[in-house]
Amino acid sequence: MKKISPIGLLLGAVGLAIGIVGIIALREATLSTHEAVAAAETELLMSADTKGGESNQTLPEMVEAQLLTCRLEVTSDVEGPIEELEDGRFRAVLVPALDETNRRQFRGCMEDWVIDGVRINVVEMTNA
Amino acid sequence: MKIIAWLAGIATLIGGVLYMVVSLNRWEWNRALFFGLIVVIAEVGLATGLVLRRLARLEYRATRIDPAVAQILHEARPPSPDRFAWLREPSRDLNVFITFVVAGGVMLSGIAWVVDRIASKSTSPAGEERLGRQLDPISYPSGGLLLDDITVLAQEVPGANDDQIRQLLRRGGRPS
Repeated sequence: MKKISPIGLLLGAVGLAIGIVGIIALREATLSTHEAVAAAETELLMSADTKGGESNQTLPEMVEAQLLTCRLEVTSDVEGPIEELEDGRFRAVLVPALDETNRRQFRGCMEDWVIDGVRINVVEMTNA
Repeated sequence: MKIIAWLAGIATLIGGVLYMVVSLNRWEWNRALFFGLIVVIAEVGLATGLVLRRLARLEYRATRIDPAVAQILHEARPPSPDRFAWLREPSRDLNVFITFVVAGGVMLSGIAWVVDRIASKSTSPAGEERLGRQLDPISYPSGGLLLDDITVLAQEVPGANDDQIRQLLRRGGRPS
């Protein structure tokens, strides 16, 4: 049996420790832990652009579709219309307000590749 | 070229892992799945490359011979027989090959002469006798084709159809 050198053993232990710590950290980051929020609503400001999408689909339609899709992953609903601002920016209000876990989850969903041909960046999420 | 391919594969693997972790941390599941797929592809490619490289090494080791062993085998190799050494012998020596050729030719000629003489002496009388017997059915009559006068006259006399008279006539027709 091949003898393992001390340096190799040390590097292996360090790699194993980093892997375990990383997995635990990732678990903590992706774990849903909901809490009570004092705010009544969450105002969402986002920017969107499209590239290579279907010709008969407009950018507001794509943003609305993705917003409604991601709304299903949290406990809040879209209140009122989705306002289209200038320079491809959109504004929406979610009620009730999102806690920290829901904020992360909702932001991740909105910036994820959910609908082909549209890219959305969440510029600001404020609880009011 | 191989180094570039290896570096590209490793960079793809590391980058895919980093982006996958970042995407998971940001709750971007579709992106995480995509980069996870990239990681799997890079991993399979690198693993295949490692296996092929190991197989190539094993094949190289299997086909390579230790130079020391090869030298020993070369030195222990028996000398190849020099079958034409007699051609390089000095001309003043007696050439066994030519001697054998000349002597063999003389002996074969003598044997052939003896066989020819025996065959000619033994086969000619017997062959002539057999040929004579074969020619007998088609040979001319012993008395020839022409009849003598006595035989011609005897054919017309009374009683010529008698067998004994015909026997006498035949005897009379033979040449003396």
